Amino acid sequence: MSTPSAAHLTDLAEPARIAARARGLTKAYGSGETTVLALDAVDVDIARGRFTAVMGPSGSGKSTLMHCLAGLDSVSAGQVWLGDTEITGLRERELTRLRRDRIGFMFQAFNLLPTLNALENITLPMDIAGRKPDAEWLERVIDTLGLRDRLKHRPAQLSGGQQQRVACARALASRPELIFADEPTGNLDSRAGLEVLGFLREAVDELDQTVVMVTHDPGAAAHSDLVLFLGDGRIVDEMEQPTAEAVLERMKRFDSLGAVPSARSEKPDAKSAESDKQSAVPDAQSPEPDAKSADPLRKD
Amino acid sequence: MLKATLRSFFAHKGRLFLSALAVILSVAFVAGSLIFSDTVTRTFDRLFASTSADVTITAKEDIDEGIPSGLVPTVPAELAERIRSVEGVEGTHLDVGVENITVVDAENEPVGPTTGAPTIATNWYVTDRSPVELTDGREPAGPGEALLDADTADSKNLEIGDTLTVLARPGSFKVEIVGIATFTTTNPGAALVFLDTATAQQELLGDPEKATGIAVDAASGVTDEQLKKNLAAALGTTYELQTADEQAESAASELGGFLDVIKYVMLGFAGIAVLVGIFLIVNTFSMLIAQRTRELGLMRALGADRRQVRRSVMTEALLLGLVGSTLGLATGIGLAAGLIELMGLLGMNLKATEMVIGWGTPVLSYAVGVGVTFLAAYLPARRAARVSPMAALADIEVMGLGRPLTVRAIVGSVVGAAGAAALIGCALAKDSAGAGSLLGLGVVLTLIATVIAGPLLVRPVIRVLGGAFPAMFGSVGRMSQRNALRNPRRTGATAAALMVGLALVGGLSVASASMTKSFDDQIDRSLGADFVVQNSNFMPFPTEVTEAAKSADGAALVVRQRFVPIALTLPDGERVESTASAYESRLDEVAKLEYTAGDTQAALAADSLGMDHAFAAEHGVKAGDQLSVEFPGKKKATLTVGALTDLPGSGTFGPQGGVFLGFGTADKYVPDGQDSAVYINAGSGVDADELRKGLETALDPYPQVQVRDQADYKELIRGQIAVMLYLVYALLGLAIIIAVLGVINTLALSVVERTREIGLLRAIGLARRQLSWMIRLESVVISVFGALLGIALGLVWGVAVQQVLALEGMTAFAIPWGTMIAVVLGSIVVGLAAALLPALRAARMNVLTAIAHE
Repeated sequence: MSTPSAAHLTDLAEPARIAARARGLTKAYGSGETTVLALDAVDVDIARGRFTAVMGPSGSGKSTLMHCLAGLDSVSAGQVWLGDTEITGLRERELTRLRRDRIGFMFQAFNLLPTLNALENITLPMDIAGRKPDAEWLERVIDTLGLRDRLKHRPAQLSGGQQQRVACARALASRPELIFADEPTGNLDSRAGLEVLGFLREAVDELDQTVVMVTHDPGAAAHSDLVLFLGDGRIVDEMEQPTAEAVLERMKRFDSLGAVPSARSEKPDAKSAESDKQSAVPDAQSPEPDAKSADPLRKD
Repeated sequence: MLKATLRSFFAHKGRLFLSALAVILSVAFVAGSLIFSDTVTRTFDRLFASTSADVTITAKEDIDEGIPSGLVPTVPAELAERIRSVEGVEGTHLDVGVENITVVDAENEPVGPTTGAPTIATNWYVTDRSPVELTDGREPAGPGEALLDADTADSKNLEIGDTLTVLARPGSFKVEIVGIATFTTTNPGAALVFLDTATAQQELLGDPEKATGIAVDAASGVTDEQLKKNLAAALGTTYELQTADEQAESAASELGGFLDVIKYVMLGFAGIAVLVGIFLIVNTFSMLIAQRTRELGLMRALGADRRQVRRSVMTEALLLGLVGSTLGLATGIGLAAGLIELMGLLGMNLKATEMVIGWGTPVLSYAVGVGVTFLAAYLPARRAARVSPMAALADIEVMGLGRPLTVRAIVGSVVGAAGAAALIGCALAKDSAGAGSLLGLGVVLTLIATVIAGPLLVRPVIRVLGGAFPAMFGSVGRMSQRNALRNPRRTGATAAALMVGLALVGGLSVASASMTKSFDDQIDRSLGADFVVQNSNFMPFPTEVTEAAKSADGAALVVRQRFVPIALTLPDGERVESTASAYESRLDEVAKLEYTAGDTQAALAADSLGMDHAFAAEHGVKAGDQLSVEFPGKKKATLTVGALTDLPGSGTFGPQGGVFLGFGTADKYVPDGQDSAVYINAGSGVDADELRKGLETALDPYPQVQVRDQADYKELIRGQIAVMLYLVYALLGLAIIIAVLGVINTLALSVVERTREIGLLRAIGLARRQLSWMIRLESVVISVFGALLGIALGLVWGVAVQQVLALEGMTAFAIPWGTMIAVVLGSIVVGLAAALLPALRAARMNVLTAIAHE
């Protein structure tokens, strides 16, 4: 568990820079002697506007970490914030609304509803919320992902790569604070996979989105800004500006040595450097995600 | 292979449960009706066999009584003396009994059962065959004394010393209860009043020299048959002679009419359950097989041949049938026990402990249960056998999803066209027998066609039905509409179960609305009287009642009507047995009649009659013809055809031929009849309310008759038709229950199939409530689809039925829009109810497990 004062400090200091944060995040399965710790007191900050990859061998807890950060799974102990909202302790209904309005999802497979066409799938979270999509933004997302002439197609009429692009567009369409991608390239051939990774990169660079991607593919991780390595339920290492080779090398050490816990202090990336940039954010409590992020169109 | 089959059966037992329920219901109704009727038949066979005299002598009924005339057939009492010397006769008893009599207590309340079972007044004598014994008080001796049966005394709180009034044909008389007789056998539900023999002869028959029958005991060593032969030799063919066995048989068959109704109702329920259940079973097996396509493909890949796959599915069906039949049989026993209890409440104290389960019951139960399941599983099993080994590798969402519906379209249109042709033929047919069979054929064919073509209608109809959903319910509405469209076969089959029941209801409610309207029109056209006094079950009443009505304040004109059994020998040589109505001469003032020949006065003149012109034309009768006519008791007469009537619907609203004659003519040949109705007009200056009050006061001692104006009379007729409707609604209820099981089944399996989709939707933010609504709306759209299909089909049937009714004179056509709208609204409720559990199940799914679901 993190100290309340530290959490409080961060809370006030950096809502605009930190998209999601966990302190002492613990997830245990089973009870008594058969307890398995999927996550063991993890502290993590996901920086806004960056592409973060989470890597680790099978059973390292990387998917569980994503699920807990996204409000899909409950935690055994610890706290999780999305922006400045503590999501641990939220009720089911509030969590659902949070996922709907503030988080985008991409899964490995079965991302789309077979009965809805591409456009309907893309706007689904907003339709569910009963909100009108921001037309200008939607057009831009569709064009960025090259889906203009596929909008009326049903998922069955799309290739695997196209389907993942639609999923990516859906994740982006509501302009969420955070996009979680769980092995988004796992079911694709390498070319289609590269394409999807390229779009996620573009989403961060061009559209100023925040992406967290769980993957076991070093090549995919190389597209990110920062790789977090998980082993035995802890964050054991991290790597800025990764390359496929370096990630692969790091992963090999899991095979030979197992999880090597590295110094916890290394982990937070730009936190200390940037913590004093903003002391207070007036609209920190606003539920509107757009209000907190910088203007996504400013680069145009 | 058997092991794999068994494993699969138990693995899917949850899903098979709903199908099993359909099997259980149908078997339960089959078994229940058989057990019930066996039990009742056995009980009454025993009762009648043990209580009938060795040989019974009664008057011969030479003309069948279509409508009760109130005549009591009698034999001369001296017959008992005459046969005493016949060889083999040990002794004789006079039977003096009148059924359907009215007995009232001091408050003028009838003591008879309210269930329609008769009140019987009869003479008291004790033999070792008597079904009753004196348990309290003493035997009746002389006028003014009577015994009452214990069950009636109990239910009406009567005891020894109370006074009863018996409203007999010769005149009402008072009796004091001097004793209580208790049934030693099963009480069939009737109320019994016992008088001593002389009193019974005098008061019930009005003639001390007559009896209704003579019970003859055989001397020891003489068989019943021998005795009957001896008596026949002595008496000739004037009287009806029956041995104890024959008597029991005919008594049981008389009772049988009522029991048959119960039996057929139960079998109707069983039929509906089977019909609707088949859809449920077909759908369940289709879905189970669709879900197991990969598994079946794997079995095929591992070397199982088609026959083995098919056999494994059929074995599963067999198991389901066996389990369902066994449970159904048990439920049927419970159902029969319940019915027996219910009969007890109605006064027929059968004993559940004496329940009879003949060998036919389990045989038929298993035949129905296993047969239906087998039949229903056959097509899905064949489809399962066609699964290719490649299916093990392919990723098919639902088998049969993409297959075109061309075959269905072709077969559906061919069968549908044949059905439509039959219905059109029925509408054009000229005689009702031909029309009836064409109607049956048309109904069956159009039903089959709709079931086959149902999936084809899914897309267009649900597009329209659910068209407003996206606008009304947003994306939840859109998804539910799309989900309903997803597998037209499944949606079609699910809706078909609902359709069958609602089509029946639709057709029958159109028919009954049309009948009601026809009767209303007929009453408006023909009834001219201010009031009608009659018994609600149309039983005749003593002349005393008529006299009371005549003397009522404000009554100016009273026209009596009675029914007379009649046999006409027509010019074309045909002998027609019918019932003629006899009216007093001022009929024109209380009825509106039209004639093609003659007039009312000519028809009602002495030794004349009138008849329907169509009937007359058919048999070559012309006005002025002399017809040879036979009345009960072999009385022959030659009557002149005085008039031919032209009344729409005369074929329906009365007995065959629409024969009517003057009251005097009837009285001349059949002097002992009773009036069935009296028509009354108010005097000038007397308003209707005044007359009604006067009549009700005057008729207060006669609770068996009621005073009705035109509106009341229509209500009475409607009530008779409504009885049919209640049965229809009960059938509908059962059909809906099973159809709901089908919708639940489909939704539950769809929810399982769409687990990942549901997980995804929940992950991206679909709230539980929205998810539940998505499933509910899908359910509603399926149900409403079924309801619309059913109503449409029912309307078509109704139109055809009305055409057949029109041949019978019921020319009016009415659509009960209220019922139709209620059915559609009801189907929305049905949809919501069916979605309860599946929606709950979907909402409870764990998001993460659902996403990871394979």
